[in-house]
Amino acid sequence: MMLLELEQASYRYPNGGVGLEACSLAIRRGSRNALIGANGSGKTTLFQHCNGLLRPQSGVLRYAGTVLDYSRSGLRQLRSKVGLVFQNPDHQLFSASVQEDVSFGPFNLGLDEATVRRRVSAALDAVGMAGFAERAVHNLSFGQKKRVCIAGVLAMEPELLVLDEPMAGLDHAMKTEFLAVLDGLHAQGITLLLATHDIDLAYRWADYIHLIDSGVCTASLPAADLAYRDDALSALGLPLPTVVELQRRLTARGLLPKGLLPRTHSELLTLLDNTYDGKEAPCC
Amino acid sequence: MLIEQSAYANRWRRVSPAAKAAFALCGFIGAFVAGTPSAAVAVAGLLAVVTMAGAGVSPGRYLRVAVPALFFLSISCLSLAFSLDFKGEAQAMTFKLTPAGLQQVADVSARSLAALAALLFLVLTTPLIDLIALLRRLKTPELLLEMMVLCYRMLFVFSAAVHDTLTAQSARLGYATTGLALRSLGGLAASLTLQIWQRAHDLHVAAQARNNDGPLRFLEPRFANCGRDGALAAASGGALITLAVWLS
Ligand SMILES: Nc1ncnc2c1ncn2[C@@H]1O[C@H](COP(=O)(O)OP(=O)(O)OP(=O)(O)O)[C@@H](O)[C@H]1O
Ligand SMILES: [Mg+2]
Repeated sequence: MMLLELEQASYRYPNGGVGLEACSLAIRRGSRNALIGANGSGKTTLFQHCNGLLRPQSGVLRYAGTVLDYSRSGLRQLRSKVGLVFQNPDHQLFSASVQEDVSFGPFNLGLDEATVRRRVSAALDAVGMAGFAERAVHNLSFGQKKRVCIAGVLAMEPELLVLDEPMAGLDHAMKTEFLAVLDGLHAQGITLLLATHDIDLAYRWADYIHLIDSGVCTASLPAADLAYRDDALSALGLPLPTVVELQRRLTARGLLPKGLLPRTHSELLTLLDNTYDGKEAPCC
Repeated sequence: MLIEQSAYANRWRRVSPAAKAAFALCGFIGAFVAGTPSAAVAVAGLLAVVTMAGAGVSPGRYLRVAVPALFFLSISCLSLAFSLDFKGEAQAMTFKLTPAGLQQVADVSARSLAALAALLFLVLTTPLIDLIALLRRLKTPELLLEMMVLCYRMLFVFSAAVHDTLTAQSARLGYATTGLALRSLGGLAASLTLQIWQRAHDLHVAAQARNNDGPLRFLEPRFANCGRDGALAAASGGALITLAVWLS
């Protein structure tokens, strides 16, 4: 079942810049989605539509099957279900302390203080920032600020979490840890949509991959299909995931049985190990 | 920024801000009830000692923060000490140092010193976020508090923006000559103006995204031992005032 659908949405910025051009996107409930597009392709613009911050000049947004009503109460409802984490943490954080900032969203939902306190500590726990509750926001590192931003949205317990380039600026360890956090959220039933430039990461992590170019969603496909869809990727000037390239070459050389589609580097290595367990490799 | 650092790093960070504010308030009262300069100086000295020995603010840092304020205090004292004497025409203007003036200077400066020490005690031991939370509990108008919160946050965002722009300009030789420096400074001002406008807009959008359509509400920090700290602060503050009265 579709949770969020954008249908033929077009948006032009006041200065005439094209944000979206008849863009359609559908997000399945409970799925993990990656949005891939070049700089300036309209990812941020698209995400601001998901949260009702921007209103398409033509086309519609449907949430759980009903067309969004852009009245005050309609927007309120949408924004309590769709949480948006901004690309730049400094744009999102505006309270002085970590705990204050995370409590901002839940208070806006009209929750009482005890509930807010509980949610704030749960959200900070989920992103591994529990020890930083009373620190000042400006004394945090970039990666830590990003985590606080995510906690600030998590505390609102959204159904759909939209993250604008959450991995940019994080080190390798942080990225791995962050993926674990996302998987934890997914296990709780939260639908995830994130923008990224990293095709390998998208292939490894996502259930569905959406491609965007100059404000148009050019393709939406199950991540597993990416291995066959060179056309969709090359239309955007994107390379295949490296693991797919490697698997193809290995299969072509007869080093790997046909029909195996590893999604990650380590999966590929395990496959190789299993294939040659005990046997000598035919080459070298 | 020095004040910021010590407010977060001092030994009394976890003491309830209400207690610290009460003690500072007693310090202010002590400064006013002190009848003689020596009593006021004693109050100031005690407050400084409490800040350094009690809260563990290093003397060096304390002095560095106090120096600008002391500088202004001494300038105003000088202008008080010398009174301008007009003798009919403008040419006969003279400066005079009068004993009454000196007495007045001693009075005023000692009191200001004590008040300054009380203020320093508060700001060096309590982060502004705690103070704002305290003001909120004291029912300060919401609008004022929101402005304080936003200004405080923006202060850091802008100091980072200024720093980044300056670095970027210097890296491309923007300040190599006086002429270039002037041009770069103009560029900095222009870019900051735009950034302020953009940031205000971004903040509004960020607030909307998290469903805000009215007052900004935040969770307040909690402090253990509020009662005990408050009682301790009240007792020591009372002692300070008594001392000030007794000495004068
Ligand atoms: N506030 C704005 N005013 C005018 N045009 C804008 C504005 N914001 C974005 N645009 C334009 O809209 C287009 C899409 O921008 P958007 O920010 O959505 O891209 P993006 O995919 O998020 O890029 P990036 O990867 O760099 O974050 C760009 O051509 C951009 O120049
Ligand atoms: Mg973007």
